[in-house]
Amino acid sequence: MPTRRVYLDNSATTPVDSRVATAMVRAVTETFGNASSVHGFGQQARAAIDRARREVAALLGARQNEIVFTSGGTEANNLAIRGLCEAASSHGRHVITSAIEHPSVAGVCSQLEKQGWQVTRLPVYANGLVRVEDVAEVLRPETVLITIMLANNEIGTIQPLRAMGALVRERRAAGQKHLWLHTDAVQAAGRLPLNVDELGCDLLTISGHKLYAPKGVGALYVRRGVRLQGQNVGGHQERERRAGTENVPGIVAFGEAAKLAREELNERAQHDRALRDKFEVQVRERIPEVVMNGDREQRLGHLSNISFRFIEGEGLLINLDLEGVAVSTGSACSSGTLEPSPVIRALGVDDELARGSIRFSFGKDNTETDVDYAVEVLARAVERLRALSPLTLVSHGLHG
Amino acid sequence: MSYSAQFKDHLAHPRNAGELPEANAVADEKNPVCGDRLRLALIVKDDRIETARYLAYGCPPTLVCGSVLTELISGKTTEEARQLTRADLLNAIGGLPSRKHHAAALAIETLNSALAQLS
Repeated sequence: MPTRRVYLDNSATTPVDSRVATAMVRAVTETFGNASSVHGFGQQARAAIDRARREVAALLGARQNEIVFTSGGTEANNLAIRGLCEAASSHGRHVITSAIEHPSVAGVCSQLEKQGWQVTRLPVYANGLVRVEDVAEVLRPETVLITIMLANNEIGTIQPLRAMGALVRERRAAGQKHLWLHTDAVQAAGRLPLNVDELGCDLLTISGHKLYAPKGVGALYVRRGVRLQGQNVGGHQERERRAGTENVPGIVAFGEAAKLAREELNERAQHDRALRDKFEVQVRERIPEVVMNGDREQRLGHLSNISFRFIEGEGLLINLDLEGVAVSTGSACSSGTLEPSPVIRALGVDDELARGSIRFSFGKDNTETDVDYAVEVLARAVERLRALSPLTLVSHGLHG
Repeated sequence: MSYSAQFKDHLAHPRNAGELPEANAVADEKNPVCGDRLRLALIVKDDRIETARYLAYGCPPTLVCGSVLTELISGKTTEEARQLTRADLLNAIGGLPSRKHHAAALAIETLNSALAQLS
């Protein structure tokens, strides 16, 4: 076990905030009633869920009856896309999405395609952004859903959702009534100010464990009036949209985390950005032959995705892990596939750069000392791996 | 993924890494599927491997197999080196999950290519 541990993988999951854990433990021990029960124990649980729902709604600028609690982001994305498409199929069977969606969106879209739906996957440009003009160009009268993530999980690029929301409203005003906009905001929630009306979206996904709540809880925002076919059936919970006894401790924790995220949003965002910027400056100073992936401006402030030439991402990841620094990679070996990250490939970079990409994601518990330590370890590991790499020799013309 | 102590040691402290300009056998093999590369250079005198150096690009098992391979073959006769198998390599690094066995296969393929240049 390394002597020092630095967690720079906050886009994968965040540590549970101690205040959130306290609220959750209280709910586990004291609020054990079934929220569907009529007696006092049940009503106590119902009240706890309602409080949490208000907090999650407040984080998004939504009404509380527009929040559906789920088991996490993946379930919320499934419910949003499949639920809407099943309910709207009589109006059209075309979906627009992007080439860099999270697997929980991309997977549902692929499944719909197998069931006869038409799916248009918009490419991204070299900066990792989708253009709203491209969305407008592929919109058809039979398009019922546009599902494009708000911020990407690997490179952090922030898509022009407001412009897409405006486009959808414009098309509706022009007569295309059955067109809806969904966004996966799992990476953005707690890191960017969110307001569903300003974004103009009809469905929005968030997840608890990306904002310092535990795993196993998430939510889908469903704009009032949007019809969804429930995917979990057999109960009246969540206004018939998600049957099953509510995960009261998880929901309570999520509510507390949402409250803290709203109250501390600016402070956390400034903190994370300062660390990320310091990290990137030091990396550029210390390590040659690096490529920063994704748009430099339109991206989340806590995340840095960097490709290190001549080395493979998982080799670097494990070297960092041996010295206590935790990061993620888009390399093929790491994901258990033969292809490197589709997100990095979608930027148009070559295989070597895609295989050498590493994501560093900062969080509220990281410190400046963490950054110094991580850069030190990183610079040593890159140097060691480059000394091993035949690609370094090729680039220096020493052999072919 | 959980790697053995000997695996981590080779990853953190690669043995016999680098070029070998005076080598009399050099092989450079690539896994066409995943893109991993291994370069092995040998100095063989009187049918015995005096020095072995390697360079590697790829996932950690490929880096480690290169390092372990050079340790296993140093001082061996070419005939003894030809007898080396994937299983020997895997044993020496404390095992690998089956989906990572390609790293040992690449190492043995590179060794055989280098030895073929001597015959």
